[in-house]
Amino acid sequence: MTTSERQPDAPGASSAVTGINPRITAGIRYPVDGGIPGEWHLRIIRSDVPAGRVTGFETSLLDDEIVFISPDDVKELPRFGCQIADQIVLTREPKFVGDAIAAVVAPTLKDARVAASLVEVSYEQRTAVYDELAALRDESPLVHERHHTSESDSAYFDMRPQDGTNVCHRFRIRTPNLRGREEVAVVTDLTDPDEPLADAFDDAEVIVDEVFQTPAAAHVPMEPHAANAQWVDGRLEVVTGTQTPFNMRQDLAGIFGIAAEDVRIVVPPMGGAFGAKTFIRTEAITALAARLTGRPVRCVLDRDEVFNEVTRHPATVRVRLGAKKDGTFVAKRIWAYVNTGAYADCGPGVAQKMGYAGVGPYRFDHVAVDSYCIYTNLPPGGAFRGYGAMQSVWASERVVDMMADQLGVDAVELRRQNLLREGDTFCTGEVMHDAHFEELLDDAAAAVDWKRDGDRAGKGVAIMLKGMQTPSTAEARIELLPDGRYEVQAATADMGQGASEMLTRLAAENLKCETDQIVVCVPDTDRVPYDTRTTSSRSTHMMSRALEEAARDLIEHGRVGHGHVSNDGGLDPDTGQGVASSHWHQGSASADLVVDEDTGVIALSTLYASSYAGKVVNKHGAELQQEGSMTLGLGTALFEELQFTEGQMTNPNLSDYNIASALDVASISHRVMELPGAEVHGLGETAVPPVPPAIGNAVASLGYDVRQLPMTPERVLDARREQEES
Amino acid sequence: MNLTLRVNGRSVDVDVEPTTMLVDVLRDQVGLTGPRVTCGVGLCGTCTVLLDGEPVSGCILMTPLAVGKEITTVEGLPEDDRVVACFDKHHAFQCGFCIPGMVLTAREMVDKGHAGDREEIREGLGGNLCRCGCYLKIIDAIEEAAR
Amino acid sequence: MTWHLPTSVDEVLRLRADNPEAPIVAGGTFLGILVRQGLVEADDWISLQNVRELKGLGDAGDLSVGAMVTHRRLELDPKVFGVWPGVSAAFHAVASPRVRNVATMGGVLADADYASDPPSMLVASNAVAEVASIRGTRRIPVENLIVGHYSTALEEDELITRVLVPRPTGTAVYRKLRTRSQEDRPASSVAAVVSGDTVRVVVGAVSDRPHHFPDVCAEWKPGDETSARAIGEEYASRIDYIDDNRGSAAYRRRVVGVEVRRALMAVGS
Repeated sequence: MTTSERQPDAPGASSAVTGINPRITAGIRYPVDGGIPGEWHLRIIRSDVPAGRVTGFETSLLDDEIVFISPDDVKELPRFGCQIADQIVLTREPKFVGDAIAAVVAPTLKDARVAASLVEVSYEQRTAVYDELAALRDESPLVHERHHTSESDSAYFDMRPQDGTNVCHRFRIRTPNLRGREEVAVVTDLTDPDEPLADAFDDAEVIVDEVFQTPAAAHVPMEPHAANAQWVDGRLEVVTGTQTPFNMRQDLAGIFGIAAEDVRIVVPPMGGAFGAKTFIRTEAITALAARLTGRPVRCVLDRDEVFNEVTRHPATVRVRLGAKKDGTFVAKRIWAYVNTGAYADCGPGVAQKMGYAGVGPYRFDHVAVDSYCIYTNLPPGGAFRGYGAMQSVWASERVVDMMADQLGVDAVELRRQNLLREGDTFCTGEVMHDAHFEELLDDAAAAVDWKRDGDRAGKGVAIMLKGMQTPSTAEARIELLPDGRYEVQAATADMGQGASEMLTRLAAENLKCETDQIVVCVPDTDRVPYDTRTTSSRSTHMMSRALEEAARDLIEHGRVGHGHVSNDGGLDPDTGQGVASSHWHQGSASADLVVDEDTGVIALSTLYASSYAGKVVNKHGAELQQEGSMTLGLGTALFEELQFTEGQMTNPNLSDYNIASALDVASISHRVMELPGAEVHGLGETAVPPVPPAIGNAVASLGYDVRQLPMTPERVLDARREQEES
Repeated sequence: MNLTLRVNGRSVDVDVEPTTMLVDVLRDQVGLTGPRVTCGVGLCGTCTVLLDGEPVSGCILMTPLAVGKEITTVEGLPEDDRVVACFDKHHAFQCGFCIPGMVLTAREMVDKGHAGDREEIREGLGGNLCRCGCYLKIIDAIEEAAR
Repeated sequence: MTWHLPTSVDEVLRLRADNPEAPIVAGGTFLGILVRQGLVEADDWISLQNVRELKGLGDAGDLSVGAMVTHRRLELDPKVFGVWPGVSAAFHAVASPRVRNVATMGGVLADADYASDPPSMLVASNAVAEVASIRGTRRIPVENLIVGHYSTALEEDELITRVLVPRPTGTAVYRKLRTRSQEDRPASSVAAVVSGDTVRVVVGAVSDRPHHFPDVCAEWKPGDETSARAIGEEYASRIDYIDDNRGSAAYRRRVVGVEVRRALMAVGS
């Protein structure tokens, strides 16, 4: 295939790529491939205890040239955190097994490993708590004494920390009639009768009230976290894999007490991220090591460290759904207990998203949600593809099926009857526009040959909505280069979702030129304008608008064009009213399967997802994101689970933690729903949340009511046994 | 110990301990970036290299075991390699981290006639994990390459 | 560190006798994992990579498998596949082509990893290991070779040189139960091999070693579901199970009987 044969439209067509895409032939360099001459290597020393105090370090065996960094070296540095400022670069009071308590820096990686193994640490252990509900009991230890909201721009909504408890943020939704009641600050009991709001269900003739659980899970980016830091003329330069360069720049500036302009973050294309590479991970300790040693420093995490670095929030979700006998939904009450582990990270944001996604794309007279972001002594939860929606949609869509069972009605028809339509109001008070839920529902049902009121044994459907981060800002610049090509300068980080392809195509479309006239510069905070971050499936949508403006500006003014767009909104944390999302990610899924009744093994014949995309920029990219989301959803549903003993992760490796292989995806098919003239809708996550409940509903239709993910064969057999006994 | 390895058609002298794994010597001393380390236990396939045309896990292969064999990494495939072209045509990649391993595995599958249908291709790819979830397009690419 | 490259079994045995701490490297996959994790360290390493006499595969009478024959060869060799399909199936079930290209017959037995596919089929097939040391050679039925968690009946200085698998006179079935991804180690590994009217059923991957109960197998009535079920239940009740990520002990207790029953119905038909 030669350059001249390359169609601009062809798969793989991207920024100034001629010939075969370099990702296929190892022609690009990932953060893990990079190195700076003269660099030293950092190894983090981590806590063996889940909670307590480091009483001493024994470092006498270290060679003279090894640099040992202890919590004393960071005493002056302020706390940080993207939403709650609860983190410290090195802590003397570890809060989870794996918490960074010290570091060694050495000329070679081997020397650093040896050095780390020679440091002895003594601890004074304290009581730890691991379960999100146990952490709410009066007798449980407080993981953090106080909750300080962060000044970071990632704290884009008001926090409601519950002082004196392990709840660092509480998000509530209260539709108009349910406000101003006397309520406890935090509901700590899963069987709470909910008296203050009980009248919300007065008109409900049937009520389903059930509890569901999801465990911690691992992102498993194929490339580990890799960061380099060096100080050049008083400026900090960091090359790292991160989805959040500007947040990181601001946070590092805050930590080191320098201006944001004196921090430079450069982001090479990453070997996967899925949320694991967000906010500060190893960059602060690496930067500190570079400052203390006066050399460039490199830090690459081992696979078990990647597992422990950040997880998907475990959650317990209780859903109470009330409906009339004719199927009309009346009220929904949700309590989401989000286990954010030892540090909040973006847990508050996840709790918020989990809260409103759990309501689902349905009309209600009354909605009340309490979503609590709860500290425990587990490794921290953070951004994970789906961002909280999966945990509550799992519960919610299972409950809808249970309601259909109770009412004796078809599960698809019950949904159809209550789905939000164009112009309807969501529980946040916002009006739904560009809503396509019915079409998505029908599509999913058809994929498994669902017959209305027919035999649906082995079949399940689910439908959901999730939000795109609101508010947020995206800026982009396009510059005309001397050679006549155009350079796009945007902070969208490339983690496999096709960022540079997307930016290339959008720029070319707006400038009305060929894609080979476009180059995209690597996200470098010295060179690209501000963008909130590359998460939440927002980049294609936001950048499509920013680039449109930048192109217009360039065409009008000559050499450089600048686009600056934002989506305004946000939710009141006490009522959940406002604008949760400037537009909605809408998706459905369905499954057709059999369960081996002797072994509990689930065998899928069809796993289908349908997602609303609006306008698609890169067809192959959209399909890949959809397939990838479904594959992750499949693993989530059937076998992904992090396990802990006394707070220690016991399966931080790919043998003991399974992810889906090529052998697992034979049943997958999907549709990316396009609509000419519509705006771009992000697709990066949409097909994750509906997959587990679609499978769960299919499994339940065969008599196995599994409440806890993953639906392992053992849980399936146990579910039937419980049913037989009751 | 000093060893001579045959890498992508050239002889390369390396200085290793017996316990140095092939993937590390290829990255650190030969300067290649195609073979990578993800799981470190030979399970996921990002460290795949071909030894005399057969895929092996470079992350757990002690380097002396590779002496006397032709080591091929993705960088050693010819520019017009058909498997590579098919991966490109089908856009069978996202982040790309697993792809060199996939390509080498596919190369052998196609060469040895083990890519007869999608089922067989799936089986042959079982040990190459892709977290981005590109399996469907990768199978499409290999199906075409085998035709 | 020294990497020894003997070219004959005699040389290997002498080297091993001189360096009792030196690990013997066959395919090197299991060892490689341990070395990479820093769990095995040594100054001397004895590699079998150039020992030609360990790489032979003979199929004239019994199947004669040199210790260095790879899983991949056993999986793909037409004669093995044609005459010893159970052996071929069990080796094919292991991991991925990359692992099978390198892992060996001798290695998988010497490692005695409980979560492994081939041992149950080799025991069910009445395989015998030939074992050598400077003191001479002996034969150990594979059934007696794996004695516990990562432990074998081998003396410190003994080397498996080849494994003999009798020519089958009846059908063989291998069942691998996967409880997570389809690409996974076995949650249970059941092999059933028929010889005339008798069957050898072996259950592996659920306990520290494979289990065979000939007294229970003696009750087998080919093709009879009741007898198959009874044998399954008796097997299930006798085994001491391991908990791991592929299944708890309780789960294994529930499914071993099922897998045994299914294997017996498959060979019985």
